[in-house]
Amino acid sequence: MQSAMPDAHATIRELVTTRKVVLFMKGSRAAPQCGFSGQVVGILDGLLPAYDTVDVLADPAMRDAIKQFSDWPTIPQLYVDGRFVGGCDIVRELSTSGELAALLGVDAGASATAPPVLELTGRAATAIMAAREAPGDELRLVISPAFEKELFFDGPAPGDVVVEARGVTIRLDRSTASRAAGTRIDWVETGAGGGFKVDCPAEPPRAASVRGLTAKGLRMALDAGGPLMIFDVRTDAERALASIDGAVALDDDGQRRLEATDRSARVVFMCHHGVRSRVAAEAALRKGFTDVWNLEGGIDAWSTEVDSAVARY
Amino acid sequence: MSDHPTSFKGSVLDAIADSIRGAIEGARVEVSGGGGHYAIVVTSSAFEGKGLLESQRLVYSAIAHLMKGDDAPVHAVDSLKTLKPPKGA
Repeated sequence: MQSAMPDAHATIRELVTTRKVVLFMKGSRAAPQCGFSGQVVGILDGLLPAYDTVDVLADPAMRDAIKQFSDWPTIPQLYVDGRFVGGCDIVRELSTSGELAALLGVDAGASATAPPVLELTGRAATAIMAAREAPGDELRLVISPAFEKELFFDGPAPGDVVVEARGVTIRLDRSTASRAAGTRIDWVETGAGGGFKVDCPAEPPRAASVRGLTAKGLRMALDAGGPLMIFDVRTDAERALASIDGAVALDDDGQRRLEATDRSARVVFMCHHGVRSRVAAEAALRKGFTDVWNLEGGIDAWSTEVDSAVARY
Repeated sequence: MSDHPTSFKGSVLDAIADSIRGAIEGARVEVSGGGGHYAIVVTSSAFEGKGLLESQRLVYSAIAHLMKGDDAPVHAVDSLKTLKPPKGA
């Protein structure tokens, strides 16, 4: 690796010592460009109203400098009170144990540590008893900030919130407990056997999934004049190379426009090949948008299938 | 992400595991994944008395050479777990 750039190191030191919480990440808080950065944003969003982020994709020198500065090879990287906390795995573990909330000086808190009321159906209780291999096995429920749910047998962990339902002990980490109030656990038989169904009232309603849109499909939708908004998650440098008329850059301003958009409006997300935009589209679903589309193949497909005047890169 | 380009030849899984075992004596190492993305579980008494950050640093420094550069064989460590062996084991 090339030698340290003193300027970038000074910038980093200044930043992490003057701001309480700084996350070095790929993309922005509004539009993370990588799953790991997105996970840490999800965790911090659950604990803090505001914090600082630095997009290392916008500044390649910063990307190298922060790795040297922290002596840590991956992004994201979290700093609190001038101290390096760790990457995604560590932030996740500290969040689960409740240590992160303490570190951030927030009370994750009074309401979260009070055990939430959970509902367990009779069928679910029977299935749990049958699946238990040892009498000491205890059930753990995890509900992630994105409301992905997991139910499995596990040992106790520090900071656990313990709930009893139908004689079954269920353990929750503190982060899960803050989202779990009123959660109903059922057992449903399907053709392929059976499975647990976990319904969480705190989960915002969402469409079944992000729907894929081909470049030609987008052209037709635009020609038909149907109201839709296109959000472009790429960087400014990429947009300068190639863009679609009318697409809104999903930078901080674009994110504010998205936030202000009616949740039932048709929104289309695009990037270079359709991968980054899918992450942003999934995020829009979680925010309650119901008519969410991803431009499959991205601007590259647009260039090859619709408008060859748009440069490929 | 299965098409991550790299000039690396050979088994990346073995290279990761061997590098970690070379750096942390007696470590039990499980590596899974492919296409530049890997999940690593390391169990070692070397983590006793160390925090998560220090423990993960040990592992990352062992595989730093596999993560360097744009065409590095290890593009991302999707998950890294550092465990201490159970007491009395």
